[in-house]
Amino acid sequence: MTPALTALLAGTLALALLPGCKIVPDADPSGDAGAVPLDDDQRMAALAAEIFDDRLPGYVAEHAVEAAPLRALLAQGLDAAGTAHGIRPGSEGSPWNFVLRAEGEVVGADLASRAAHLDLDTDGDGQGDLTLQLGPVIRGTALRDALDFLTFTDFRDQIEYAKLARALNDQAHQRLSLPADDPVGQRLIVEGAMTLPAADAPWVLVPTSLAAP
Amino acid sequence: MSLKRRLMISALGLAVAMPGIAAAEGLIAIITPSHDNPFFKAEAVGAEARAQELGYETVVMVHDDDPNKQSELYNTAIARGAVAIILDNAGADATVAAVQRAKDAGIPSFLIDREIKESGIAVSQIVSNNYQGAQLGAEEFVRLMGETGQYAELLGREADTNAGIRSSGYHDIIDQYPDMEMAAQQTANWSQTEAYTVMETILQAQPDIKGVISGNDTMAMGAWAALEAAGRTDVIVVGFDGSNDVRDSIKAGGIKATVLQPAFRQAQLAVEQADAYLRNGTTGLEEKQLMDCVLINGDNADKLETFALAE
Repeated sequence: MTPALTALLAGTLALALLPGCKIVPDADPSGDAGAVPLDDDQRMAALAAEIFDDRLPGYVAEHAVEAAPLRALLAQGLDAAGTAHGIRPGSEGSPWNFVLRAEGEVVGADLASRAAHLDLDTDGDGQGDLTLQLGPVIRGTALRDALDFLTFTDFRDQIEYAKLARALNDQAHQRLSLPADDPVGQRLIVEGAMTLPAADAPWVLVPTSLAAP
Repeated sequence: MSLKRRLMISALGLAVAMPGIAAAEGLIAIITPSHDNPFFKAEAVGAEARAQELGYETVVMVHDDDPNKQSELYNTAIARGAVAIILDNAGADATVAAVQRAKDAGIPSFLIDREIKESGIAVSQIVSNNYQGAQLGAEEFVRLMGETGQYAELLGREADTNAGIRSSGYHDIIDQYPDMEMAAQQTANWSQTEAYTVMETILQAQPDIKGVISGNDTMAMGAWAALEAAGRTDVIVVGFDGSNDVRDSIKAGGIKATVLQPAFRQAQLAVEQADAYLRNGTTGLEEKQLMDCVLINGDNADKLETFALAE
């Protein structure tokens, strides 16, 4: 059982046993942090968890664009869509990132791979048009780069900034509840982040939430 | 280089003698590692050309990856009253003091290619998105290797953040494939000749390696030369930088792929930001900026010339 699932079960159990009690997360589960300085990976993992807990839900609600209007804007060009809904750092040559909310039917799934993914049909033509990266291997830095409150200048160097991207992907993976059975044919509502280097680039999402409609 | 430098200095002398034709905008100092690596030469040429187009005098100097020499060059630039310094630096920690010294003297620095470990001292730090680029290179490497086999990794110079970030980008991809086995990992300090020697040693100890992933193109060229000398042209080599040398090797069926850093444009952009800062007191941009890299293989090697990709 994954740690995330264990934690989820434990949390559910605690909630069931203690109705009316507020569960306060233990900020220091190991109990002895502070004695040893945290390394880069640990600090970025903590920051990523904090972002997911405190900032991400509001941010996604504010920035998410639905699939159909995004597709219509992309037909006019990447910059049209980017200017309307995209997020990108100020540096030359950076691709646009989008926070997407989409509903669709699962038309393909690979849950065995380390890079597990679902293919979603969001425009009703029976073909997959949105890939959901379920991990544990999640490619790219879309999630980090779609969060406009994160700027490279605030980080020590590229190494630290890359570790943050990796930690955010890890959080996304850990917090997803994967479908247990064959999900093909199910309908899902998904939110997440993707990078589009071109208007006709495939949509490959890092999901931050996955739910039945 | 030395001829150009002499010409540059005599041009300056002329400017002093005849103020009427002096460039009105002042002197920009361009400091990079040795031009023996064409990557750094492309940076210097790109920055120099853009600065002159914008009406600046230029002086081009090399620090040979020696922080002490870099410090002296900074003193020279300050003493000569440079209005801005374009720098590809000699060490993420060691450079902080020199950049601060120039700042205290009222001279802004615009960094390219390599970061320093402080922000708020340089005006701009424009670097290639090495993590993104390394992941591109690693994905191609894994594909070429058929997702399996022993390989060697050549690391860059340890004091340079780019060596670490590329290696971690490589491993974030490669380590996901359980049948990819790293048989050797050694530094060759970005150097072609060191890479040749290191590759010879690795081949003796690990004759079964099937691939080499290198932190830059000059080391990839050194490794490839050693592999050719040993009759091991079956080994898959992937580099990083996008040099003309590796482009030619790709086209000749030697090295398989590299990752282009837009070095020429990056250097020009630094000059443009220096110009904006000198005119307006701000670049209007974040200090630290990432520029995305592009995978180069047999499909697009033809379009590559001097660290820029034709449209």
